[in-house]
Amino acid sequence: MPGIGPRTAQRLALHLLRQPEEKIRLFSEALVNAKSQVGQCKTCFHLTAGEQCEICLNKQRNQELICVVSESRDLLALERTREYKGLYHVIGGLISPMDGIGPEMLEISSLIKRVDKENIKEVILALTPSIEGDTTSLYVGRLLKPFTKVTRIAYGLPVGSELEYADEVTLSRALEGRRDLD
Amino acid sequence: MIIIGQNGVGKSNLLESVELLSSLRSHRSNRNQDLIYWNQDQACVSAMIEDDQKVSLELNRKGGRKAYKNEKLLTRQIDLIGPIRSVGFSALDLELIRGEPALRRHWLDRIVQQLEPIYSDLIGRFSRLLRQRSQLWRNLSIQSNKDQNTLLDSYDMQMALVSTRIHRRRRRILDRLLPLASSWQEHLSNSKENLNIKYLPGSKLEGEESERLWRENIERQLLEMRSEEEITGNCRVGPHRDDVKFLVNGVDARRFGSAGQQRTIVLALKLAELELIKTVYGKSPILLLDDVLAELDPKRQLLLLDAVGEKHQCLISATHLESFEGEWVQNSQLMQLDSFS
Ligand SMILES: Nc1ncnc2c1ncn2[C@@H]1O[C@H](COP(=O)(O)OP(=O)(O)OP(=O)(O)O)[C@@H](O)[C@H]1O
Ligand SMILES: [Mg+2]
Ligand SMILES: [Zn+2]
Repeated sequence: MPGIGPRTAQRLALHLLRQPEEKIRLFSEALVNAKSQVGQCKTCFHLTAGEQCEICLNKQRNQELICVVSESRDLLALERTREYKGLYHVIGGLISPMDGIGPEMLEISSLIKRVDKENIKEVILALTPSIEGDTTSLYVGRLLKPFTKVTRIAYGLPVGSELEYADEVTLSRALEGRRDLD
Repeated sequence: MIIIGQNGVGKSNLLESVELLSSLRSHRSNRNQDLIYWNQDQACVSAMIEDDQKVSLELNRKGGRKAYKNEKLLTRQIDLIGPIRSVGFSALDLELIRGEPALRRHWLDRIVQQLEPIYSDLIGRFSRLLRQRSQLWRNLSIQSNKDQNTLLDSYDMQMALVSTRIHRRRRRILDRLLPLASSWQEHLSNSKENLNIKYLPGSKLEGEESERLWRENIERQLLEMRSEEEITGNCRVGPHRDDVKFLVNGVDARRFGSAGQQRTIVLALKLAELELIKTVYGKSPILLLDDVLAELDPKRQLLLLDAVGEKHQCLISATHLESFEGEWVQNSQLMQLDSFS
């Protein structure tokens, strides 16, 4: 599993084996349920058990603002800041020809359609400041320009660092300091 | 210090470790695995330097490096650079004038990196952009995408910016090296040779230096070349096409210089580099002479000794002492390396 080395893996396995059988049964059911019930939100492609995710269903949130992230875990990182009150769009990766990922494999055309159809005042691009993140930002930005205002979050983050690992204060600042995409 | 030992005993390896600590790079390889002993998971290089400071670099086979200063882990590895600086000079450098352009670009980059460590990041970004771009062309030939021009524009924009910054730095470093190198050339040739250095950028850089102007220029050139690139898959605009031309008394030294003249130029360039780094940091870098001293004739050896003088620490590797000028041997500490197998 990602982020878990052999020692931690062993510790976790031994811990599980020491648990009562009932607890293990509930745990494995939870895993199976998660797998069968969790899908993607049909609007923003965030993980959800229903058709639409809680964020899209929450009418208190600013319906005219969309923040574009690469993965659901980036969305969760931004949610932890409690700064952002708009909606999201999870495109599911970054453009990287070397990894065989072209724009057509990402939720980019769905984003364009969504922005075209709905009354969106601003799209904020919150993608990792790497070559792939920048390429994707520039590409998406250019396609969105005819429809709405596009900004990108200002990174105080070092180049190449992952959004996921940025602390909350840094991310809040990055959101505040967003600027127009050139 | 002269380090003596048979072939394969590890002389270059020792010098390389100094290079690694002073620049975080090895001219031999960028991959950790090439720098770690066969089958070991880790390598560590440490040095005690002036003022009882200790610097170390730890390399892991699975990737990742850790830098320590006085046993304290540094959050930015770049902060390791500084206490030690070095200028390398190996037999390979003798090819600098007549070899492939890539050698000259690499040589330039190493100097810029010494003066501006963040430059490595620019170079890394550029080579990644280039690889992504050429892969994009390959993928495009299979499936055509109506927005492909928009995607190429996104690459053009980034490449124009990074290219501009690389060109600017390479040009500036040559401007600073030129007066130093040409004065050394004059000295080494008894005032017979006048050295000139010309930067030949791989993008057309018109007008005076201006980030905005150059960027726009490069972006336009990339666009102009796009239809050709579609066929060949090769991007022909950018710093990866840079070259440097050396002229001795107005004549191209690569094509017309004698072997001796070419060597003199390399020596003049190295001395200029040493001087430049010393001026910038106010401290003499360590000169690493790997296998190269013995390749110079006695006259040039002595001139080099003069120039290095007592000001610079100098690590010299060789298999035997015979080819050294007596003065070198007298003025040096000797260290004999034996293999432990
Ligand atoms: N990753 C590695 N692990 C262990 N040994 C290695 C590794 N890479 C190279 N070597 C070996 O290290 C030895 C030392 O090489 P080095 O280039 O330092 O020798 P040298 O003393 O400079 O020799 P020469 O006089 O031929 O230049 C060589 O025998 C080489 O095969
Ligand atoms: Mg060697
Ligand atoms: Zn949703």
